[in-house]
Amino acid sequence: MIKHRLPLLFFAVAALATPYSVQRIFLHTGIEKKMGTVQKIFYFHVPLAWIMMALGITCGVAAAIQLRKAATGRSRMAESLSIAAGELVLVTGLGVLITGPIWGHATWGRAWTWDARQVSTGLLWLVFAAFVLLRRYGAAGSERLAAALAVFGAVDVPVIYYAVKIWKTTHPTTDVVGSLPAQMWNSLWPALGALVCLTVGVLLVRIRQEQDAAELDDAWIALDDRGRALTLGGAP
Amino acid sequence: MAIVPLQLRELSKRFGRLAVLRGIDLEVGAGEAVALLGANGCGKTTLLSIAAGLLPSSGGSCTWGGPTQDELDVAARRSLAFVAHSTQIYGRLSARENLQLLASLRGDSVDAAVLDPLLERVGLGDAITRLAGTFSRGMQQRLAIARALVGRPELLLLDEPFTALDFAGRATLARILLEERARGAAILLSSHDLEAVAEVADRAVLLADGRILAAATRRGDEAVDAFAVRIRRLGVDVAPSQPRTGATHGGADA
Amino acid sequence: MLDAAVLAAPPCDTTAPVVPLARQAWLLAKNDLRQELRDLELVLTAAFFTLVVLVMFALAFAALPAADQTLAVPGMLWLAVAFVGALTLTRIFDREREADTLRAVLTWPVDRVAIYFSKLGVTLLVITGCGALLMPALGLLFPAAEVFWQRPLDAAALLVLGCLAYAAVGALFAAGLATASGKNVLLSVILYPLTSPALIFALVSTRALLEGHAQFHTYLGQLAALDAVLVAVASWLFEPVLLGSNARPAERRPSARAKRTP
Repeated sequence: MIKHRLPLLFFAVAALATPYSVQRIFLHTGIEKKMGTVQKIFYFHVPLAWIMMALGITCGVAAAIQLRKAATGRSRMAESLSIAAGELVLVTGLGVLITGPIWGHATWGRAWTWDARQVSTGLLWLVFAAFVLLRRYGAAGSERLAAALAVFGAVDVPVIYYAVKIWKTTHPTTDVVGSLPAQMWNSLWPALGALVCLTVGVLLVRIRQEQDAAELDDAWIALDDRGRALTLGGAP
Repeated sequence: MAIVPLQLRELSKRFGRLAVLRGIDLEVGAGEAVALLGANGCGKTTLLSIAAGLLPSSGGSCTWGGPTQDELDVAARRSLAFVAHSTQIYGRLSARENLQLLASLRGDSVDAAVLDPLLERVGLGDAITRLAGTFSRGMQQRLAIARALVGRPELLLLDEPFTALDFAGRATLARILLEERARGAAILLSSHDLEAVAEVADRAVLLADGRILAAATRRGDEAVDAFAVRIRRLGVDVAPSQPRTGATHGGADA
Repeated sequence: MLDAAVLAAPPCDTTAPVVPLARQAWLLAKNDLRQELRDLELVLTAAFFTLVVLVMFALAFAALPAADQTLAVPGMLWLAVAFVGALTLTRIFDREREADTLRAVLTWPVDRVAIYFSKLGVTLLVITGCGALLMPALGLLFPAAEVFWQRPLDAAALLVLGCLAYAAVGALFAAGLATASGKNVLLSVILYPLTSPALIFALVSTRALLEGHAQFHTYLGQLAALDAVLVAVASWLFEPVLLGSNARPAERRPSARAKRTP
């Protein structure tokens, strides 16, 4: 029972934290001098980006467990988790990739500057899009290939980030986003908390769905088995 | 030595909601040949693939000369040979080179004097140096069988080995299987050719609905024809469309 | 009627030592190379493709000012390698798909990782071969790339390490797609996003070489480390990706091991 109630708990916390953080961000936090009101998007963009990275790594680790463990119990759980996390990378990633360029357009004057973070986020999103595509449309056996894809996706992210950073440092760009005052960081935490709760809630629901689907398959087969046993053993 | 080369216990395999195998119990002992019969799609190939270590099972166990299948390590695979439904022959290699590749990977002698007799045994004596890609389907099947004999495996798994063979090839394969059986190899094959099965098998097992519905064991000196008749009845008696009482899984002898 | 010689022969020796991994990989790679030498199909198509790409680069970018060339040449090199690599991987594994031969090797007493290393080796050989055509040619065509001629050892090391990173990822996924039934088109969907870090890193290092950057050797070392990581992860995942893992029986029968010893 607790499994089914747990997401509700997270949703409840998110429902309380979201209005609080929005109020705090817009009413009780100062407006950044250089960037103006548009800087408010920072409180959504940054937590989403962190959550996306965390989900990507979760998906990669779960996929590695799924592949290396035998096909029962833990492997099944890991598979559900990797599916759920992989799909949520797409959703949160979409949020990051929409809020980012809006912010960039307002402050840098350009929506997309091929900066290391942008490139690594974009590529991570593509890798997980490939993951979801492969799970949906791949032939039998491609769920294992998709898992390997997720593992490599997680391994790739820091490499891309580092590589693009080197590529860029030989081409110095001005640092537009300066360091932020403590007050702004303090307003970030409630926003982060609200979004994390929402994400975890959705993640749990999605995991539950996958497990229910698997249990439904089991039940279907068990019923089928019993039906056949009856016709074979009990027919007149 | 009481080694049971192949032992399946409650073996099951499912693909999502499709249960292909629903608890198979089967043993193939040394010097025994067992034939799997059943309609297309009844799970014969799936069963053989699991036994060959190519497909993970969904439940139960596949014990195999000792270790369970997930412990089936490189060294243990030395005593296994699998002839799949597709010939799995390298078309750009000659017949002999196809055997040499396997022999070298096994660490066995790649000497032509050792390998050529195997090709002669399956009737490819005239085509030893020809590229396998130029072979007919039947010749490729013979080559696949010759390759399975490299290193004298203890367990032979053959998926419809009589496919595409001509009359002489069929007789050759039957003789080879009898020889291998007499040598002490365990043989598990699937086939639709009931006459051939009656000739080579000690036991015929009917798979349907993912279970073993019935089995027939050769009696002492039973003539091939008589055994063939009994095998044929096996299919008729428990056709899936006419469920009969008493046919529990595991299968009593018909 | 039965052959007496067959009956008298001893059964196979399961206790014989297994052929070492490196030798298995070499034997499998040699088998691929031997098949390739029969018709040279793969080498010739890859080389031809490389030449066509070179001609197009020469036509399109010949008038580029030298300062821009240092930015353009790395892109040309690694884009060409990426395309040749996809072509090569597709061909190598199509050959296995023709008669399902990869599955046969999986039932043999061969360490599965040896299969990975053999395919990695062959892929690497073909694409570095094409790179070895590309690099000197780019050096001739573009003044900024003359350093490929002046520092041949550095250039060669860069080429091999960059191609290795690409092949390490490519061989795993091409093999996975070759054993899963059908749909090879997915290879490019998978391959390009996943190999992009390797390619971007190779790009960075190449530019450092062209610009005579002091940190070139550091980048080269980092590229080698990336190679090591990619090869390690890919070889760790190779067997489960190709075969999946078994459901464990609910209770392990202790007799399973005991039976083995007489």
